[in-house]
Amino acid sequence: MNAALPSLDLRRAEARERFRAKGVPHRRIEEWKYSDLRASLDDEHVAQEGAAQWRVEALPDGVELFDLSAGNAPDWVTRNLGAIDGSGAMAAASFVFAKGGVALRATRAVEGAARLHLSAAGHTRVLIVLEENASLTLMETQSNDAVELRNVGTEIVLASGSKLSHARLAANAPKSIQVETIAVKAAAGASYRAHFANFGAKLSRVDMNIVLEGENAEAHLSGATVLANGHADVTTHIAHAAGNTRSTQLFKNVAGGHSRAIYQGKITVREGANGSDSRQSAKGLLLGERAEIDLKPELEIFADDVKCAHGAAIGDLDVDSLFYLRARGIPDSEARALLIRAFLEDAVAEIENEEIRASVWREVEGALARANEAAP
Amino acid sequence: MLEIKDLHVAVGGKEILKGLTLNIGAGEVHAVMGPNGSGKSTLSYTLAGREGYEVTSGRILYRGEDLTAMPPEERAAKGIFLAMQYPVEIPGVTTMNFLKTALNAQRRARGESEFDAMTILKRVRAEAGMLKVSEEMLKRPLNVGFSGGEKKRLEILQMALFGPSLAILDETDSGLDIDALKLVAEGVNAQRSPARAMLVITHYQRLLDFIVPDRVHVLSAGRIIKEGGKELAHELEARGYEQIVKDAA
Repeated sequence: MNAALPSLDLRRAEARERFRAKGVPHRRIEEWKYSDLRASLDDEHVAQEGAAQWRVEALPDGVELFDLSAGNAPDWVTRNLGAIDGSGAMAAASFVFAKGGVALRATRAVEGAARLHLSAAGHTRVLIVLEENASLTLMETQSNDAVELRNVGTEIVLASGSKLSHARLAANAPKSIQVETIAVKAAAGASYRAHFANFGAKLSRVDMNIVLEGENAEAHLSGATVLANGHADVTTHIAHAAGNTRSTQLFKNVAGGHSRAIYQGKITVREGANGSDSRQSAKGLLLGERAEIDLKPELEIFADDVKCAHGAAIGDLDVDSLFYLRARGIPDSEARALLIRAFLEDAVAEIENEEIRASVWREVEGALARANEAAP
Repeated sequence: MLEIKDLHVAVGGKEILKGLTLNIGAGEVHAVMGPNGSGKSTLSYTLAGREGYEVTSGRILYRGEDLTAMPPEERAAKGIFLAMQYPVEIPGVTTMNFLKTALNAQRRARGESEFDAMTILKRVRAEAGMLKVSEEMLKRPLNVGFSGGEKKRLEILQMALFGPSLAILDETDSGLDIDALKLVAEGVNAQRSPARAMLVITHYQRLLDFIVPDRVHVLSAGRIIKEGGKELAHELEARGYEQIVKDAA
């Protein structure tokens, strides 16, 4: 164990202090300018939220589960819980106010997918630990029944050579405020692949902080946001902290009705992280005049010999394509849906697990039907 | 099959077609030739029902039915096919999947049962050989990375697959070298039939050496100014549009 690491109690006390000092984020904080959480919530409210529910629906052989509300946490939990959360107030709140949560650990290559479902309002914590050379596929689904706030603090610790393939699908939740903070630490040669399928909430915010700590560590993020109403904000920060680290990001956003989709992606290449390669692409497709999409890529480079490519573009459905399809007999609404699916295709194709990909497409269909109804 | 009567069409408030009249019977192949800006593309888009091409007066009768208010997908289901000058590229939709979606949409609209994937694949393969459309092309996203010739061959493959009663070929020769042009023309000629009318829209006579029309119409400033047999195409090539327009004035 790392002797310098403060005890779990001390880490929790520090988190309490951090939340007290910062409070609920608001639009005057740059990273939260598109998602004013304080307009809907105050500190008191956050402190009084109860515990969100979690359920592990599939636990393949080779995955250990620990219920964080139980006593006698094993060493792999006490070593990691609350240790890589970063500086966010909402992550701190989930650590302080959650009554429990779930921890999963894989120690070898695991066949099949672990499935985790989160429901109800309140705070919860998720800890995923992959030991050296372990691999795991994790499907995470989130229900739409959090009437007020659901605040999830997730930490993912990837030891050297390990591989996590993570897909997170949040159902359309018009009444919910959903905040998720995901902190990832990847050691040498470790790989984190994640897909975020977002269908909107009253306010939804995914805040991702990834540190590629070891040589040759990789992160591959993708996302499909399809909104008929509501709001979805995906904010990522990938730090290349070691040499020859790689990251790719591909986020596709479709906004119809009266909705707002946001992607903010910051890439930092730290000093000494030479030979790093990062690619980032964010695209938006607007379906109506009352919809809004904000894409904000950001690069900070403090190393030499790095490759960074980023692009962002927002457009409408292509009228030539739409006419082409209709002239071949495909009705207007079907042609639009086909073009939207085509727009999302490469982002959804990033999901390696076929079954998970199919469930994302099913949700996309539902969202398209809602967007169709919401169309002006 | 197709009767166009005194057709006036405006695009963005500007009148482009100014009283165009044209009749095509079943089994006939007609060519409309005209210089740039004469209204050729406007005619093809109007026949296919593109939004923004406003019929301000006149009529388009297809098998006796007025088309002017009919959306493009209904026209397609009723057997009108427009082979486009610039087929669009759609990344994210495979060519095969597009063909299946389009054919079944047309069948559904006609109250016919949908084909399963295997039946459609067989039908596509039956046409693909002659047009040199490879299996690999069918697996690629629609028109993405296709050469000019490949795009036009895929247009003609669709025409063969859908089996329209009225086929409109808009500048099918543009961007093709002579070998590609011959291949496309052979594909078109194979589909000439007593039940099908064709309208070949082109700037150059070259295409009409391979797809020989029954009638040729010269379009200038939104009107047909001269009509004749296939020899009119050669006269145009020899004398140029300017001279023909002057003669007609």
